[in-house]
Amino acid sequence: MKVVTGVIGNDIHVVANRLMDLSLNARGYEVFNLGVNTYLEEFFDAVVETGAEILLISSLNGEAEGWGREVKLLKAKYKTLDNLTMMIGGNLTVGSGNAEDIVPRYKNYGFDLVCHQVDLNTGLDMLENYIQEHKQA
Amino acid sequence: MRDANGSSNEKLLIDIGSTYFKVSTKESIEQHFRDFNKQILDDLMHKCSDTVQRFESNDIHICSSANGGLSTLIIGLTHSYSLKYATNIAYNAGINVIESIIFQDIEDYSIPSDLIDVVIIVGGIDSNGGQFDERLDNYIAKLNYSNIVYVGNGPDAMAIASRVDKLLVLPNVIDDRLHIVETHLKEYLTNLYQQDIEGKEDIKDLYKITGNQIYSTPYVVNKSLPEINATFAVTDPFILLDIGGATTDVHYSKDLVRDNIVTEQGHDRIVFKKLGVFKSRESLIFTAEQNEFAYELLMHLKVTESIYKENSDRATKVIMQLAIFLVLCEMSHYRAANVTLKLLAMNSIVFTGGITKVLNVADIEDVVAFFYRKILNSDHKPACVVDTNYDIWTIGAKEYALCQ
Ligand code: B12
Repeated sequence: MKVVTGVIGNDIHVVANRLMDLSLNARGYEVFNLGVNTYLEEFFDAVVETGAEILLISSLNGEAEGWGREVKLLKAKYKTLDNLTMMIGGNLTVGSGNAEDIVPRYKNYGFDLVCHQVDLNTGLDMLENYIQEHKQA
Repeated sequence: MRDANGSSNEKLLIDIGSTYFKVSTKESIEQHFRDFNKQILDDLMHKCSDTVQRFESNDIHICSSANGGLSTLIIGLTHSYSLKYATNIAYNAGINVIESIIFQDIEDYSIPSDLIDVVIIVGGIDSNGGQFDERLDNYIAKLNYSNIVYVGNGPDAMAIASRVDKLLVLPNVIDDRLHIVETHLKEYLTNLYQQDIEGKEDIKDLYKITGNQIYSTPYVVNKSLPEINATFAVTDPFILLDIGGATTDVHYSKDLVRDNIVTEQGHDRIVFKKLGVFKSRESLIFTAEQNEFAYELLMHLKVTESIYKENSDRATKVIMQLAIFLVLCEMSHYRAANVTLKLLAMNSIVFTGGITKVLNVADIEDVVAFFYRKILNSDHKPACVVDTNYDIWTIGAKEYALCQ
């Protein structure tokens, strides 16, 4: 399966992104890593160009909070993204926050899977389960 | 200086523009206004025959920018990748992009009435076929174009080629990692541009005096950029503005763009086809009239809009100052045209072309400071370097002459 990944906005925390690339590859995904400093439109555009089924966004400095609000609006402009699985992880708020508030908020923004301060492997297991369930459905 | 054959003949370098031509030898540079009642060759021989006749045809090197370049319409899948990559390649090949179309919305775009020199279709990595359906054919059928080239995903190539007449298929400009592949499209477009220059009757005539290939001036200029520090006090990143009679060319350091494109070349180029101070004067004035700050610039220069109708040295000067301002606007967030440069990070601006014969450093610095104040709200002051002696062109032309 094809996955587009990267770190959103002006965020330059690169370590998790590198690990993400390695883990996804090890799990057999075809990875298109847009790296740090990637804008929302570039993520969607990369999905269109590659035909990826999964979009996996990281945010470490918490900027995603701001971008999240624009996801639905921007995604609606694309005519071919209806079946895209969208996942986001990292530090999903600025300062402290708890997952009970954060997860529903991001689901409302249009993400299917939300991992606030969840480690990479746990998150990728969640992704695999999600894909399995949706194949059956 | 030694050429490839080991001889050390002196070279004669000639640059034909839409308004002036320049003739450069080791000792001097002559510049002449073109006489439009004469063929270029006749005009040249009339004004400089003594100089030209001193040289063997193999030692004469000519470049030309007299035709303002070709136009393209690009159809792609997204702004960030296919359109951006193709646009970048087109600019570097000296081609002007007149329209960029996102394929999914193709039915919403109007059809340009002008003849398009080349249509480019691009989009998708090779493992992502099935992107272009009959909406593409319908749109293309309504266009008026001379050439059409496909540089998108592999699987769609055959199908489109079977439906679109005379479609040339070249390798994808997007590789399997979503990175740009410039080579093939760039070579194709460069050749088209080259053929266009050579195809012009009066340029063909010039082969009577030269045994070398005639190149486009922007290429020659681009060649000189890596060497520019040797001649001028220029600090990176910089832009070079070549404001000519018909068009304005901007060459800029790659560091000035926030971009997802990684290429080897250090300098990119963009052409503003309708911004020139003689042949394109009308459209330059039109652009000025659409710009709310141009009026303030006129006030700042202590003239009124009636200057547009004047035919005086003063008017020429103002038009040139206006051209500098408008070009800077085009590349700033104010206009957000095709490339937006990080103008606050820019350390130098190099000016070349006809304007260096009319404006002095103070005139130029005045406009540049006005631009930074008005449009960018900043006191930033890049160093303005004026290439009055056409050194830039000479360096580039020599590079070329040496390569041949
Ligand atoms: C190193 C670091 C930096 C370096 C980054 C160097 C680089 N190029 O990568 C530098 C010094 C440049 C830096 C700068 C800043 N940083 Co910093 N930085 C860190 C630090 C110490 C470590 C980050 C790291 O690499 N961790 C190792 C990786 C492997 O772990 P991780 O990033 O946490 O990712 C894990 C998970 O989140 C998960 N994950 C990540 N993405 C995803 C996605 C999915 C889908 C899933 C499932 C999981 C997942 O996987 C990883 C492994 O489990 C953290 C604090 C910390 N200890 O976490 C702060 C931290 C991330 N930085 C922070 C801040 C605020 C900044 C600055 C704004 C500081 C400033 N005021 O200038 C700038 C921002 C710069 C910018 N434009 O982004 C804050 C963010 C706070 C927030 N979100 O509320 C943190 C948390 C520190 C803090 N506690 O305040 N930083």
